[in-house]
Amino acid sequence: MSLTITCPICGKRNAYEFRYGGEDKGKRPEEVKLIPRAWCNFVHMNKSVAAIQKEWWCHQDGCSAWFAIYRDTTRNLEVSDPNEDESKVKA
Amino acid sequence: MFGKFQRLWAKPPLKKSYDAVIIGGGLHGLATAFFLARNYGMTNVAVIEKRYIGFGGAGRNTAIVRANQRTQENLPLYKEGLDLWPILTKALDFNLMFYNCGNLNLAHSEAALKALRLQVTSAQIHGISSQLVDPKECKALIPALDISDRPTYPIFGGMYHPPGGIVRHDAVVWGLAKGAAKLGVHIHQQTEVTGIEVENQKIVSVDTSNGKISTPRVLNAAGGYSAAISYHMLGIRLPISVLTIQAMVTQPLKPLINHVVSSGAYHVYANQTLKGEIATGSHMDPWPNYTTQTSAYYIKHQAEALTKLMPCLKGVKFMRSWAGLADMTPDMAPIMDGNEPIEGYYMDCGWGYFGFKSSAVTGKYMAQFMSTGECPDILKPFTLRRFEQHRFMGETPAVVEYSPNN
Repeated sequence: MSLTITCPICGKRNAYEFRYGGEDKGKRPEEVKLIPRAWCNFVHMNKSVAAIQKEWWCHQDGCSAWFAIYRDTTRNLEVSDPNEDESKVKA
Repeated sequence: MFGKFQRLWAKPPLKKSYDAVIIGGGLHGLATAFFLARNYGMTNVAVIEKRYIGFGGAGRNTAIVRANQRTQENLPLYKEGLDLWPILTKALDFNLMFYNCGNLNLAHSEAALKALRLQVTSAQIHGISSQLVDPKECKALIPALDISDRPTYPIFGGMYHPPGGIVRHDAVVWGLAKGAAKLGVHIHQQTEVTGIEVENQKIVSVDTSNGKISTPRVLNAAGGYSAAISYHMLGIRLPISVLTIQAMVTQPLKPLINHVVSSGAYHVYANQTLKGEIATGSHMDPWPNYTTQTSAYYIKHQAEALTKLMPCLKGVKFMRSWAGLADMTPDMAPIMDGNEPIEGYYMDCGWGYFGFKSSAVTGKYMAQFMSTGECPDILKPFTLRRFEQHRFMGETPAVVEYSPNN
């Protein structure tokens, strides 16, 4: 299906060149006193939102870089950071 | 020749309260509603469907049924599911067109053959007919197969599972809807669930686009949309990735493939429908999304794979392609759980691309679960808690080289 992803090094490329790396779940939990449920939440649990999500990708068939993008899962389109200040985008 | 047109199910108005509300008018939801009414006398049940019944996975799968899974938890469930098709045909008085032509899984390496050996043994221990076959026997089953050493991945052997086959998926949707509605279940199409209300950790009501319904029980059987519903409406995250899976059919041909044939190495499965078209599916698109877009990438992939396995298909044209959503879990086994963490909230999701073959039997046991409030033994291993307990099912290698990430 059609999807292009912007690699920070190679630019806009066909998504089939990339490997999806999962939803952005924030910082990896500290291993000290880590309980199985907290680890499971970090590793396996997904929000699976039908909306814009921040997610990780690896340019597997290219430069091998890991990076995060925003994508609308209902339209299957890469979008700009929805949290970013609009004035900054214009500047 | 044609009788008077009659609706298969009634269109009653939405009531203010039901004993159970089922989200999703797919096969799992309809089957659960049917068995709730028939086996447990719970007829005050509503099936809420956003679009039309059978819109999702129920009408998009490739209709293959089989019971040669890998693990001891899954095998008895799928066996009963497979045995249920002829019984259900009679019970519903609706022709489900069950054609038990048998399934042939091909192995293209020694490693794949070893994996199949384990799978065959597991099936046999559970009394399921399944056997290993050598390349010549594969050729005898499907004469169109190329068993020479010419293909990139030559055929080393296969696993033949005679009781499997295909079932007409739309007929199951219509049959179950008719059967459930006849027993008093309300099927509300074009009705969207917009919220689930919880008080003191108990389900109290469901908001829909046509009004509020108070109910003590809700089943999330929304298939590919179940994970999003779970998070958006209840804040419960599930170990699910929603991936698109594409399928397509060729132009109709004379009878050529008289068994379901699949190959893990070529990422292809195919069967010839009773109309003569070759219906084939491939692997999932490897990133989550809620569209059902198709792509030339997979049409090319299918054409290459099918013509490598069966060179006589060269030049045959694909007529159409479509896609559906598969809610994949990390161990490729479903999540069936209830009353935890919310009393009255039941889930039947994470079926990935196994949802069709399991629909009827799952409905039977989820109905038992919802009516008694006690989880039947056969469903206990499928709890959501298994992931934090590191008790993965091990269905991932059931078809060699298949996983959500490749």
